[in-house]
Amino acid sequence: MKILVCMKQVPQKDAPLKLNETAAWIREDVSYEVNEPDAFALEEALRQREKHTGEVVVITSGPPRSQQVLREALAKGADRAIHLEDNAFVGFDAYNTAKAFAAAIKDEKFDLIFTGLQSDDYGYAQTGVILAELLGWPHATIIMQIEKTDGGIRVKRELEAGFFQFVDMPLPAVLTIQSGINKLRYATLIGIKQAKNKPIRKVGLAEVQSAIGENLQKIERLYVPQKTKRTEHIEGTPNEIAKKLVDKLRNELRVL
Amino acid sequence: MLIFRKPIEGVERPQMPADVVIVGGGPAGMACALRLSQLIAAHNAAHPDSPLSKENIYVLEKAREIGQHCLSGALLDPRSMRELLPGFEKEAPLDAEVTKEAVYFLTEKSKFKLPITPPPLRDHGNHVISLNRFVKWLGGKVEETGITIFTGFAGSELLFDGDRVTGVRTDDKGVDKEGHQKSNFEPGYDLNAKIVILAEGPRGSLTKQLINKFDLAKNANPQTYGVGMKELWEVPSGRIAPGEVIYTMGWPLTTKEYGGAWIYGGKDNVVSLGFVTGLDYPDPRLDPQHVLQDFKKHPLVAKLLEGGKMIRYGAKSMPYGGWWAIPPVAGNGWMILGDAAGFLNSARLKGIHLAIKSGMLAAETAFEALKKDDASAAMLGEFQKKVEASWIKDELWKVRNMHQGFEHGFYAGMFHTALQMVTGGRGLRNRYPARAGYEQMRKLADLPADGGAEAHLLGPAKGDGKLTFDKLTDLYHSGTKHEEDQPSHLVIDDTNICNTRCVKEFGSPCQNFCPANVYEMVDDATQPNGKRISLNPSNCVHCKTCDIADPYQIITWVPPEGGGGPNYDGM
Amino acid sequence: MPDTILVVVEQREGKLNRVSWETIAAGQAIAAATGWTLEAAVVGGSVSAFAAEVAAKKVAKVYAVESPKLEPYTPDAFAAALKQLLTAKQPKLVLMPHTYQVRDFVPKLATAMGRTVISDCIGFKHENGKLLFTRQMFQGKLAADVSFASDAPWFATFQNGAFRGDKAVAGPSPAPVEKVAADIADGVIRNKPQEVFKEAKQAVDLTQAEIIVSVGRGIKEQKNIELVKQLAEALGGELAASRPICDSGWLPMDRQIGSSGQTVAPKLYLALGISGAIQHIVGMKGSRTIIAVNKDSEAPIFEIADFAIVGNLFDIVPPLTEEVKKVKAGS
Repeated sequence: MKILVCMKQVPQKDAPLKLNETAAWIREDVSYEVNEPDAFALEEALRQREKHTGEVVVITSGPPRSQQVLREALAKGADRAIHLEDNAFVGFDAYNTAKAFAAAIKDEKFDLIFTGLQSDDYGYAQTGVILAELLGWPHATIIMQIEKTDGGIRVKRELEAGFFQFVDMPLPAVLTIQSGINKLRYATLIGIKQAKNKPIRKVGLAEVQSAIGENLQKIERLYVPQKTKRTEHIEGTPNEIAKKLVDKLRNELRVL
Repeated sequence: MLIFRKPIEGVERPQMPADVVIVGGGPAGMACALRLSQLIAAHNAAHPDSPLSKENIYVLEKAREIGQHCLSGALLDPRSMRELLPGFEKEAPLDAEVTKEAVYFLTEKSKFKLPITPPPLRDHGNHVISLNRFVKWLGGKVEETGITIFTGFAGSELLFDGDRVTGVRTDDKGVDKEGHQKSNFEPGYDLNAKIVILAEGPRGSLTKQLINKFDLAKNANPQTYGVGMKELWEVPSGRIAPGEVIYTMGWPLTTKEYGGAWIYGGKDNVVSLGFVTGLDYPDPRLDPQHVLQDFKKHPLVAKLLEGGKMIRYGAKSMPYGGWWAIPPVAGNGWMILGDAAGFLNSARLKGIHLAIKSGMLAAETAFEALKKDDASAAMLGEFQKKVEASWIKDELWKVRNMHQGFEHGFYAGMFHTALQMVTGGRGLRNRYPARAGYEQMRKLADLPADGGAEAHLLGPAKGDGKLTFDKLTDLYHSGTKHEEDQPSHLVIDDTNICNTRCVKEFGSPCQNFCPANVYEMVDDATQPNGKRISLNPSNCVHCKTCDIADPYQIITWVPPEGGGGPNYDGM
Repeated sequence: MPDTILVVVEQREGKLNRVSWETIAAGQAIAAATGWTLEAAVVGGSVSAFAAEVAAKKVAKVYAVESPKLEPYTPDAFAAALKQLLTAKQPKLVLMPHTYQVRDFVPKLATAMGRTVISDCIGFKHENGKLLFTRQMFQGKLAADVSFASDAPWFATFQNGAFRGDKAVAGPSPAPVEKVAADIADGVIRNKPQEVFKEAKQAVDLTQAEIIVSVGRGIKEQKNIELVKQLAEALGGELAASRPICDSGWLPMDRQIGSSGQTVAPKLYLALGISGAIQHIVGMKGSRTIIAVNKDSEAPIFEIADFAIVGNLFDIVPPLTEEVKKVKAGS
């Protein structure tokens, strides 16, 4: 099984974010980490390789600092990496990112492409699905489990409200992987050492330029959401409070 | 039931050979790695037929990222950096060169500026830096040379063979709260090294193991410490110039406590401020984080911070003991650097430049040892000699009795300091004795119930949420995070002492001296005093204060699972 | 001819997903702001009943897009059917609720048409004739106003709860329903979905709960949690807690809310005996409505609460539970 895992580097979850001068993006001088959902996608890919042998390749697009995400993946056991390296990639919308990935892997023959559920910074949850359409491959999202079958794979899809569904799919396919389905493995010292010798293919912006276009959507402004909170005190005896509160729950908030 | 962290027994550990393992990726460890790299590169250029390898030289850093656990004011004396990397000023991240200093003596409402800045505190030529950023940059340079820095890996215990240190065991990963292996368990590696260099910072856990095992401190003064509590603030522009340095003494401390504050103007309107409290104060109810909050209420500081925003909080201990408290720094297979050894100038309040120099000297020693394939005590003992022949000794010798002079209060301390200044550090005798800080903590029964003159320093700070903060709010801004499901890394020898004796004798000072709310006494009707010790280990900011200050000395801090800890971005 | 907004509602397991009403409300709001015409569409195997339900709302027209190949749902079939509809009807703006199903096909649909989706929006703005969609970024730390830089159709999905379903206005008379037979060729559908089934989830996913009743140190003892559990059950909500409660083992770790637990933004968050330390607040401050009960009038939780009850939770909770049960039984 040849599996590609798309990974992203995002600002650390509790990093204090500051807007840049144009307020259309954040200042880049924060700490970064791997997008946690992508770590689960990588874990699933490594488990599939353990079950079925094959190759796990990781890819990311971003500035030089994003190479860290690839290094960590290689240290955990990925075989090789592809780095679309340029500052410009940070500003790409999901469509362009997917186009760039598709262009970078055009000479490869993957059986499966995994992405995380969504990114912790944008939270769009689109790149994997767009990539599937660009490649003309079937896809499924929010996947909990993958099994090999004669015709391809059988995946377990998560739906809302505690519902699930099995889906049979042919290969090659794109899957977006649910977070929390496995315990993430640790990189070992040996893994980190070996990672230094694993190949990272660098792909420049020029190489994929012809595949991408202008962004089809634009962040006009980024801002700190204002809280206009007026606290209403509910008073009286406990029974009075209970009645007043239930009245609000029913008629004002409509949760009863 | 509290389960404490210890290396899992009966599990096969991967073995990895190493030439040098440097435990700790702070300024000392990184300077050591970089210098060693330089020496090897020069050697290999001159002897292409007999090259030395960098492949088996490792730095172990417990933080997830280089520099993430580094915290200091900080002011960098560039002396050693200029030796290590001439011209470093052009590429290192330096906030500002110091332009003016002022030293104040504070009372609750007013301030007296010292007409002359005492020579040790004259900082012209020094740089205001963020140690975290500086170490990140320095670490980058180390990685460029090909030395591997393992981030997210802690040294959990030393490996011995008789009197020889044979290596370092790294932390077990994937162990749950009860001490059992989780499905992603990875045993710590045994790094079997020719030379182990301990650069863990103040009160290093492996350093403590080593000192205890070989009774290394028997001829030295007990090491004494302070704890620095720091906040990073963004203030409206114009309040303080980049490179402006302010030191304060006096309020909110009384004559019974040792300590003082710093305020440094950084760039982009960021101010670094903090309060260092000596961990030898008498009243166990004293809360050093409360001291910092009180300090900010002084008009001098309140005016500076008004309208500003606190963006980071952190705490770290620092060794005050000086020259006489430094144990032997080299032995059979080992060396100790930087704050772990106690190379800090408590008069100048600086240690980074000494840490870097010690790293360089250790690297030179290690280089010779590698060439001769001899890491014996005699060979590595050259490090001890180098230190004694270097400006590290020159500098520290002059202030060798500084902190001890304050053991009997502020005025006595000032007298001794003045005397030491005119006698090349001697003062009344060549070597002043010292008492460990925890021995100076007094029992509640011997103290006024209401705290007396110290009352305003005791107990937790409430905080107004704008200028001052309660501990939990401050703690949030340290960014500290750990894997929740793991055994407690604060190892308490006997929790019965906490529940039966300490509650009554000292009133559970752990709740006060810990800057991170790790320790709490919770109600428990089954206990004789109705209270039981409860821990929140994942709050820990790795300052080591508990290991230092606990009056019964039953707390041992060991590294939690690697990768966890504070996030001192910009600190 | 004014531009058209097309709301694609969702039907699953034999009924209309009620989040669809929220999207209709959103469509009506945007139509009012822009002057555009609002239409709706339902997609599935046999959808006339659903179409009739939608037609009762104030929309200009409802498209009933049908084909046996649209049952069960597959992204291939839905994308193909909707592409046909959109190519034929050429709406300016296509709106959908941000459900798991929509996430599964709308990026594919948009890409097939060379267009883009602004997903998981919490609102919109109409400024100087320009339509902007507001969404949360960086897990709610920042908000972004996003515009389209492409030709029509524009695609946007709205977050659950961003609009109120009960604000979807009914029409004066049922809207006309146009049946559209989707033409899906053989070989288009590649996935073979099996029956949907329910399974007891191993871990509780508080991020999906609409109502959360959360308990803090004020609960004092483990046995008192039973009291709060009854309230949660009466309300039909999930039980959660601040860290000290989970640390003590009184509730499992997966019920923990806060910086070292889960981050939630339910419709209703009831904080009982929780002081509101910042470590907890960051995990729930995005909740739509926050009701806090605490003995301490200065507890920081009150700073972010919409409704504040200063009192003893042991006095407040039992009558509250009774009242909730009474009202629910009565309805």
